[in-house]
Amino acid sequence: MLVRVAKFIAACGCWRRALISAWALVAICGASLLSVEVLSAAEPSAGDLEFFEKQIRPLLAQHCYECHSGASKKIQGGLRLDGSAAWLAGGDTGPAVVPGDPDKSLLVWAVRYADSDLEMPPRGKLPPEVIQLFEQWVARGAPAPAEIVEATTAKRTFDLAAGRQFWCYRPIVAPPLPQPNDARWAASPIDRFIRVGQEAGGLTPNAEADRATLVRRLYFDLLGLPPTPEEIDGFVTDGAPDAYERLVDRLLASPHLGEHWGRHWLDVARFGESLTLRGFIWPNAWRYRDYVIAAFNDDEPFDRFVRQQIAGDLLAASSLADRQWQLIATTFLALGNTNLEEQDKRQLDMVVVDEQLDTIGKALLGQTIGCARCHDHKFDPIPTRDYYALAGILRSSKLLDHANVSKWVEVPLPLPPEEEAPFAQREAELAAAQAQSDKLTKVIPLLTKAVDSFAPLPAPKIAIEDLSGIVVDDSRAKKVGEWKDSHRSQPYLGAGYVHDDNDGKGEKTISFEPTLEKDGRYELRFAYSPGANRAAEVPVTIFSADGERTIAINERTTPPIEGRFVSLGEYNFEAAGQSLVLVSNEGTRGHVTADAVQFLSVDAAAKKADDSPVAAELENQKQLDRYAETKAGLEAALAEKADLQRRIKELRAAPQRPTVMSVVERPDAGDAAIHVRGSVHALGEVVPRGFLQVASLVTVPTIPAGQSGRRELAVWLTSPTNPLTARVWVNRVWHWLFGQGLVRTTDNFGATGERPSHPELLDHLAGRFVDQGWSTKTLLREILLSRTYRLASSESAEALARDPENRLLWRMNRRRLEAECLRDAMLVASGQLNATIGGGTIRPGTKADYGYQDRDTRRGVYVPVFRNAPNELFDAFDVADPSLVVGRRETSTVATQSLYFMNHPFVHEQAQAAAQRMLADRTLTDDDRLRSAFRWSLGREPTLSERRMTTEAVSVMSTSPERRVAAWTMLWKTLFASLDFRYRD
Amino acid sequence: MFDSAPSRRDFLRATACGFGSLAFSGLAADSCAKGAEELPHVVPRARRVIFLFMQGGVSHVDSFDYKPRLEQDDGKRMPFDDARQRANTGAGDSPQRVMKSPWKFQQYGASGRWISELFPETARHADNLCFLHGLHTEGVAHGPSTLFLHCGATDFIRPSIGSWIFYGLGSENENLPGFVSICPSAGNGGARNYGSAFLPARYQGTALGKAGLPAKEATIRNLTNSSVAPEEMRRQLDLLQRLNTEQRGRYAHDSQLEAAIRSYELAWRMQLTAPGVLDLAGESAETHALYGIGEKATDNFGRQCLMARRLCESGVRYVQVTYGDNTANPAWDQHSDLPMHAQHARAVDKPIAGLLEDLARRGLLQDTIVWWGGEFGRTPYAQQNGTGRDHNPGGFTVWLAGGGFKPGFAFGQTDEFGHQAIAGKVHMHDLHATILAQLGLDHERLTYRYSGRDFRLTDVYGNVVREVIG
Repeated sequence: MLVRVAKFIAACGCWRRALISAWALVAICGASLLSVEVLSAAEPSAGDLEFFEKQIRPLLAQHCYECHSGASKKIQGGLRLDGSAAWLAGGDTGPAVVPGDPDKSLLVWAVRYADSDLEMPPRGKLPPEVIQLFEQWVARGAPAPAEIVEATTAKRTFDLAAGRQFWCYRPIVAPPLPQPNDARWAASPIDRFIRVGQEAGGLTPNAEADRATLVRRLYFDLLGLPPTPEEIDGFVTDGAPDAYERLVDRLLASPHLGEHWGRHWLDVARFGESLTLRGFIWPNAWRYRDYVIAAFNDDEPFDRFVRQQIAGDLLAASSLADRQWQLIATTFLALGNTNLEEQDKRQLDMVVVDEQLDTIGKALLGQTIGCARCHDHKFDPIPTRDYYALAGILRSSKLLDHANVSKWVEVPLPLPPEEEAPFAQREAELAAAQAQSDKLTKVIPLLTKAVDSFAPLPAPKIAIEDLSGIVVDDSRAKKVGEWKDSHRSQPYLGAGYVHDDNDGKGEKTISFEPTLEKDGRYELRFAYSPGANRAAEVPVTIFSADGERTIAINERTTPPIEGRFVSLGEYNFEAAGQSLVLVSNEGTRGHVTADAVQFLSVDAAAKKADDSPVAAELENQKQLDRYAETKAGLEAALAEKADLQRRIKELRAAPQRPTVMSVVERPDAGDAAIHVRGSVHALGEVVPRGFLQVASLVTVPTIPAGQSGRRELAVWLTSPTNPLTARVWVNRVWHWLFGQGLVRTTDNFGATGERPSHPELLDHLAGRFVDQGWSTKTLLREILLSRTYRLASSESAEALARDPENRLLWRMNRRRLEAECLRDAMLVASGQLNATIGGGTIRPGTKADYGYQDRDTRRGVYVPVFRNAPNELFDAFDVADPSLVVGRRETSTVATQSLYFMNHPFVHEQAQAAAQRMLADRTLTDDDRLRSAFRWSLGREPTLSERRMTTEAVSVMSTSPERRVAAWTMLWKTLFASLDFRYRD
Repeated sequence: MFDSAPSRRDFLRATACGFGSLAFSGLAADSCAKGAEELPHVVPRARRVIFLFMQGGVSHVDSFDYKPRLEQDDGKRMPFDDARQRANTGAGDSPQRVMKSPWKFQQYGASGRWISELFPETARHADNLCFLHGLHTEGVAHGPSTLFLHCGATDFIRPSIGSWIFYGLGSENENLPGFVSICPSAGNGGARNYGSAFLPARYQGTALGKAGLPAKEATIRNLTNSSVAPEEMRRQLDLLQRLNTEQRGRYAHDSQLEAAIRSYELAWRMQLTAPGVLDLAGESAETHALYGIGEKATDNFGRQCLMARRLCESGVRYVQVTYGDNTANPAWDQHSDLPMHAQHARAVDKPIAGLLEDLARRGLLQDTIVWWGGEFGRTPYAQQNGTGRDHNPGGFTVWLAGGGFKPGFAFGQTDEFGHQAIAGKVHMHDLHATILAQLGLDHERLTYRYSGRDFRLTDVYGNVVREVIG
């Protein structure tokens, strides 16, 4: 049995160094051997066998056995082709051969190259005659000699009960408090667990660190900031017995705590603000950063914190603010650095799910769930079924809207009614405008076609001299107010027409005054440019010998006479009297247009009527009317569309409703099928949605039909009986304080991770954590108040020999500061730190992250996390890769770090500012300045030799008053670059 | 009390170099790791790689994969199984208009390789090149395929091939980074294409400049300091090192502190040496001319190629030279205007020929792998009936030179249109495995334990293409 397990593991390729843990040994290899007799009814004839031996066996050996036989270095796809039982049972994708049915035999499909996902042999298609041989062979019933070959690779079944024996899946049970011999040393429960370990290891712990060390340690560990010299002195000189406790409490209440501890969580949450693909910016990711910071400042219970991030959009909320926060929390699900350009969108959807599962697994459960995507987990009791049970939940929420380059989902941030109203109003208007514009887009081509079909078209422009009578064009009219010239709508008379721009109502008039040579009776005709956006009641007043008369003209309709004129009636005029037609825009709504006024002598009009046959004139008139009407309709449509487009542009330019990166429940929420070998093109059995069985120690929540199950996932993750979530979190907290977790592989509690150094302490902390309402601050406080935390970090040759890695915590680990702390500490020393909390920090107008340079002096947590343009200091000093779950950062030592401190302008600028600040204070002596520089940068006084060296270096350089700034800048740079600056003891 | 399963690498560090060796990461770890892992696994044929990345996808049927059938059927509509359509809709064959190459092909050298008039200079080296005509890869769009080319995965976060090789073999010059990417593109995965992902950060590629900026300006970040005179800087460094030595005293067993002190000296030496390596001024006028430096069309890429040679000569393990840009349709991506290929070919042809010539003259070609190629090829038919070609991951050509590959050799073929690889198929995983093999690395054994499993460049795939190894 054991040999078979080992063989199985060895055969599975990607993991060569199999760590077979206890549970794996008891796993059952449940494959049954299929006998040839059962499956092939008839004995093969001699001819069949000869066909196989002569034609097929050599082909199999030549083309297939490298990967599909017992002789293979490893068996690919779980398929062997060196025996009939093996090919009948098939591999991962099912039986390879269906005797008698070539079209149903995957072997034949594969050699035909009919399916691009299954082409064999992979190096190139076989010649057609060879493919035919395979087809013939299968058609003949796939005859082969009765060799017995192990039917298939062993199928492992999971023994959950055995799997649950592994330490991390066992229930969290409060262990009894140990009794160390040195009871006085170990006052707190934490110290008792630690002390018994030390005693067992024969270790004497260090003494407590001195106060200056402790205050710097607490500041960096809790706030990520250095204490100022005053703050150091305040604690060092505080003689009260509870001085340390009060300092801890003060720092736990600081709003900067959330910035530092929030940053820790952002490492785990693979927080970024752009995608490497094309450097797309996520303009709203910062809301999530602020949410995380606030959650730590408010000591949001960790279980709620988790539930909000998994299913905040689905949880009940007691207030609008809660709803906002909960929704923002779900950005967690959307932070993967995904390749939105993947063309196979089914594949892309599964990649998204895999990324989410991988993150949830590592971040919250310390499990490498992703390993079970293609096959059952090799080392941990996570079957592929569990993977797809969880995948079904995540797949049921939409993260992307698909297009060539898919787009992440942003949903509106819920707002209070007074803020909501203007957005809603604008959105409604925008929707209506867009709908109307879309409608016009369809109508305009139809109208254009209709207009074009009138033939022949009347001349679009009519020369004045072609008209009879006396014509006064708008160009010669007297205008009051601003009238705009236009040529847009044809036809028009003379040089165009004018309009009032639908503005300045009541302030504009235009008067047409003819030069009449003789008294007489005239018919007046008014020409205007019609359209749908025109005014319907334009007051036109005629001043004649008959007096004054005002007529309302509807400019929305086509002028009845030749499509150009409307008759104003007949009037008597005296050559010497007042003769004018005045068009006003008073009281009008819509554009008022005016083109010309024609004075036709009544006799002349009569004469003209005599000139043409009545019938033809009428027909022509009708035609012209229809034309004019259509034409006017088209122009009205064009004008309306232009107006709409302008408005749409305005509306779009207006401040947009705040949105949040999130997910949306899919209407087709449901179970997912197992993807054989992780391929979206090879679907297997559909698995009901659910959770990791091995970590489900009591009944699990049921997922209601039609819902994704995220809410239930959130509940399952944070159930007090979930053995993983609390353990993983308290271990993370321990890691961030001590520089190494009780389980050092913070993101992997599985068989391939490390075991806890102090399993009982871990359970003690996890149990208390849950009992005390998942309060991270309470947990922090208990650890910080322990003696273990307060130990000095100094070396002890004896202890180093016994426990070089300090697993038993006989001293505090000396920890290199995180990159952000280095940056913030320089800004504190230079006095340049801008301590503003929260808000978006990406420079407005940033279109892509390429080459982005942050120029802010706010804390490091606010530097935009751009995946193509990491901050140089952060990049050099092992900032978390924003595309991966990072529970513990590396601490590499590379030359780029030194180059940064020697040459980067940021360091120079901070050093110079610090130097200038100190030189500006005339009350200080140079020795004061020196000591102050050490205290601001390293949190301590210089040693005697440090003092000597630096004093000398500064005085050598200070050859002139001007050189003093350079000399002190050099000193500050050197301090920033020195070892003690980057470590906390 | 506790049992631990340290990562393989950690284990090796501890055993090979003793306690605290971890702290030397980036400085001494390379050499000690090499011994411990018995790397390279086999006797290497090559020691370094220059990858000439033709971003956007060069059309193989217009360059190195001659297909007379395209002339014969030019303009005909015929069914093709289009990769994009298959990915988008799952549909198979669709009618496409066959489009012949606008460029003439002729045979070159004793090997008689067919090469188009796009690459007359490279063609003179035909007898040094080893063509792989049956390449195929994953992804249809630039984003996925570019990542696959570099990292062996279309989407999952994985280390770049340069990082793997640097991790496996270390650097031959501790004053320079072991993996350099000259003028990398910011697009289509950007920094991920030369990133170390979960490998230790020191194995990430060092970018020299970036696409879109003149190669003249490409340098290592923070290498120089304009605000402080060199002698002053040395004085500052001396003071710093005296302080550091004193500060170190309290933690005598912490070797990480020693490493940090050494890293300052290393940085200092880098400041002194790297600018010299990157400065092309010392090269003869003849060499400049060889690379086309000084000629408008070829100056930029010529500089990149010459810089690559100088870096390799100085011991850099893996140099990538990118001909590309930062757009969504990078350089060679001629969807609608195939004749634009001529402009790109003009820019790279002479510099590439110059590089091959120069490497050969200096005796470097024999143990340097020069790898030329893009993320995929292009279709033999016109895209949407226009004058360009769409992406084709199903079959395309890359060529290799030096490094023990068979010179004047061609392996594999596409169908008669040049659409799908049909024989001698080489998947991108296979190419990766083969390049590693030439460096003495077994792609199945070059692994890194992360997140509970041993990862490798080729995932669970990849076969070394023995046929192309001389």
